[in-house]
Amino acid sequence: MPLHPQTPNREDLEQTWMYLETGISKIMNDLQEGMDMRAYMGIYTAVHNFCTSQKAVNSSSTSLHHQGGVHRGAHLLGEDLYNNLIHYLSAHLAGLKQQSTQFTDEALLAFYIREWDRYTTAAKYINHLFRYLNRHWVKREMDEGKKNIYDVYTLHLVRWKIDLFDSVQRHVMDGVLKLVEKQRNGETIETAMVKSIVDSFVSLGLDENDSSKSTLEVYREYFEKPFLESTNNYYQFESKQFVAENSVVEYMKKAETRLSEEEGRVHVYLHPDIMVPLMKTCQRVLIQEHAPLLRDEFQVLLNNDRQDDLKRMYNLLSRITDGLEPLRTKFEAHVRKAGLEAIEKVANENTDDNLEPKVYVDALLEVHEKYSSLVKIAFKEDTEFVRSLDNACREFVNRNKVCKSASSKSPELLAKYADSLLKKSAKAAEEADLESKLDSIMTVFKYVEDKDVFQKFYSRMLAKRLVHATSASDDAETSMIGKLKDACGFEYTNKLQRMFQDMQISKDLNDSYKEWMNNTLDEDALKTAVDFSIQVLGTSFWPLTPPNTPFHIPQVITKTYDRFQTFYFQKHSGRKLNWLWHLCKGDVKATFAKSSKVPFTFHVSTYQMAILLMFNDATSYSYEEIETTTGLSRDYLDPSLGVFIKAKVLNLEPASGKVGPGTTLTLNTDFKSKKIRVNLNMAVRTEQKQEAEDTHKTIEEDRKLLMQSAIVRIMKSRKVLKHVVLVQETIAQIKSRFTPKVPDIKKCIDILLEKEYLERLDGERLGYLA
Amino acid sequence: MAPMKLLSSDNVEIEVEKEVAERSVLIKNMLEDVGDTTVGAPIPIPNVNEGVLRKVIEWCEHHRNDPPQPADEDSDSRKKSTDIEEWDQKFMQVDQEMLFEIILAANYLDIKPLLDVGCKTVANMIKGKSPEEIRKTFNIQNDFTPEEEDQIRRENEWAEDR
Repeated sequence: MPLHPQTPNREDLEQTWMYLETGISKIMNDLQEGMDMRAYMGIYTAVHNFCTSQKAVNSSSTSLHHQGGVHRGAHLLGEDLYNNLIHYLSAHLAGLKQQSTQFTDEALLAFYIREWDRYTTAAKYINHLFRYLNRHWVKREMDEGKKNIYDVYTLHLVRWKIDLFDSVQRHVMDGVLKLVEKQRNGETIETAMVKSIVDSFVSLGLDENDSSKSTLEVYREYFEKPFLESTNNYYQFESKQFVAENSVVEYMKKAETRLSEEEGRVHVYLHPDIMVPLMKTCQRVLIQEHAPLLRDEFQVLLNNDRQDDLKRMYNLLSRITDGLEPLRTKFEAHVRKAGLEAIEKVANENTDDNLEPKVYVDALLEVHEKYSSLVKIAFKEDTEFVRSLDNACREFVNRNKVCKSASSKSPELLAKYADSLLKKSAKAAEEADLESKLDSIMTVFKYVEDKDVFQKFYSRMLAKRLVHATSASDDAETSMIGKLKDACGFEYTNKLQRMFQDMQISKDLNDSYKEWMNNTLDEDALKTAVDFSIQVLGTSFWPLTPPNTPFHIPQVITKTYDRFQTFYFQKHSGRKLNWLWHLCKGDVKATFAKSSKVPFTFHVSTYQMAILLMFNDATSYSYEEIETTTGLSRDYLDPSLGVFIKAKVLNLEPASGKVGPGTTLTLNTDFKSKKIRVNLNMAVRTEQKQEAEDTHKTIEEDRKLLMQSAIVRIMKSRKVLKHVVLVQETIAQIKSRFTPKVPDIKKCIDILLEKEYLERLDGERLGYLA
Repeated sequence: MAPMKLLSSDNVEIEVEKEVAERSVLIKNMLEDVGDTTVGAPIPIPNVNEGVLRKVIEWCEHHRNDPPQPADEDSDSRKKSTDIEEWDQKFMQVDQEMLFEIILAANYLDIKPLLDVGCKTVANMIKGKSPEEIRKTFNIQNDFTPEEEDQIRRENEWAEDR
């Protein structure tokens, strides 16, 4: 055996090609038998030698010499080899085409895949062996811009496409589609086969401009298109049949399964490129075409709280464009209805006056809680659904049976509920529990339109809690104010915060007052001084009004009264102190009762104290005498006396009559009580109701001012504005506090015109007057 | 790395490491395609004799760790003929016969960087010489007729140094 392969005469094309063809044929057909180095090197060398021979026997190369008589440097040989290779491949592929006709379906797929694998493996070898041709002749041809010249590997693919693929692809695809249909029908198939076909189709896509790159064109045209079409037909038929025989819920389950199956199919054996169009096709056939049917079922599912099915429906319809829109409208209406019904039920069970704020707020919260959890679980917190929920809640929070008289009822009840939570009581809530309840107040608060009403009531009740020291916890108060601040801004809670600060300042004030007394008073005066503490509160921050009754300060406390004034004015000259007697209270020791050796302690208001102190001098007074001495108006005097009579501290004569002029009041020395401390400082119920009405009244006033100041603010910055625009901007500014009515705004504009803040200009315009 | 043998056209076995031999794309592809079935047997290199093959292997040894060539065929460093590293310049200081043999072998064995170095060396030999000098350098016979020569000169007048 010779050490080196016998290579043919380098100048003889026929001899060279015969040698090459034998080798190529072996590679193409019998590669599995292996290939030795000598044969490999022989073929490579033969190609090299032929391409580098000085003169080719064949005439086609000499023709290059005569091209326009231009000297091109060394010409390159190789065209003959290239053309011979094409002939060889075409003949090989024609044979395969012939063979393929005896197969169909899966057998055809197997044949195609087997031949494809064999062919492409051989192509890789031949490409290496013809590398010299690629490097020189092919490169030169391509550099010169010749079309339809490819490197040897690509040439193999191009020939496969032209000589075999174009005529067999339809049959191959038929086989593929049948196979996939089998799988869709539940049979097990060899998915690797489909995958191989896909890979082959993809490989055949060559970029016209750069054959080293591949495109998906061939694959898209010959695989994707028929695949999508058959998918479409399959599911169109299946879904129609399924819907006719099953419930909508069942269909949704089916569609869900089918969609995820198809998605899995892409991952397992299809090209990722098909994902988008395949999903589109499936969604169109499985969802879009049945969307009206699904939507019709939505209300039924809502009514029956079918969370899982609602989730399913959401997931399906969210996959198609505009699939969810009709659901949102239905959902909003449904939530609103549920809210209204819940409130109506509460309203029917309780009369207006004794409707517990807690019951009302709980009813609102229950509906909100239910549907917000539905949105979370079934609708993936879809922002549009969240908005629908918010819209619905805003509707039923502000306009329901309880609020039918005024939308301000909701914030009033909400503030009262907050008060009941924050006030000291026997069943004080756990801290964590309290915090979550405060949060739920904020949930409702978010929907309240008349936020100014809430503010009013809240600040009044906060004032009461602070003045009467009935607040359950400073921390909880601060936390609640913080929440309101987060929701509405600094301005909204400014006054609430200042009220809090005043309480702290007052504490310090009391300390320094005590110190001052110790320094200025002699011992006797200190001994007789009344035990006294005071809160000094800023008028503009506190929703408190001075008493509307005259009052003669009882002798006993005048000293204290004068002393504190002296102290305070020394400290802060130029300030004015208004004494809110109606909010003051005190303890008095009563030694008149015969039944007890231990003196009773009466917890009374200052007004009551003034009355009781009179009885230090005598045991019986006429109504008129008391009226003159205390100076109180009857609105305050009568209820104060009423409490004493009811508690049997004083006896009324005549006993059957009503307190009033002509009656006499006598100290009841037989007074009895189980407790040593008796609380006689009880607010009168009618007073509370009066207060609520007053609050509503002041709200109207405040709103006018708020609107006017907003109008002035807008005009100050804009100078000239059309009437309509001004109204719109005013609404926009004020919306966060309450929803202003257009006629009210117009009225405010008129007031400002009258006050000459604004002037009327031509063309419906208004101007700002500095 | 396992040593392997190359067989020169004059039947001399030369031992070489695989990594070095694979500087030749031809050998690299062949090993890849034929696989390990013929381990031990020398690889026949029918077109290169012992002397040239040894010279080529020497070059491959030296450049065994070179980074792969930039994919961009027209990158500047490949084009600049003066750009030959010192070792390569020394390596190419051989007689003309050997120089051309190396170039042919590099072309055959598909060792592009070596082919480049060879061609650059020849280019440097041509640079700055008149046609007569070039003919002398490479021992080329003038096969133009005076008319042809005249025509070429006229066609290329614009490129002349003046």
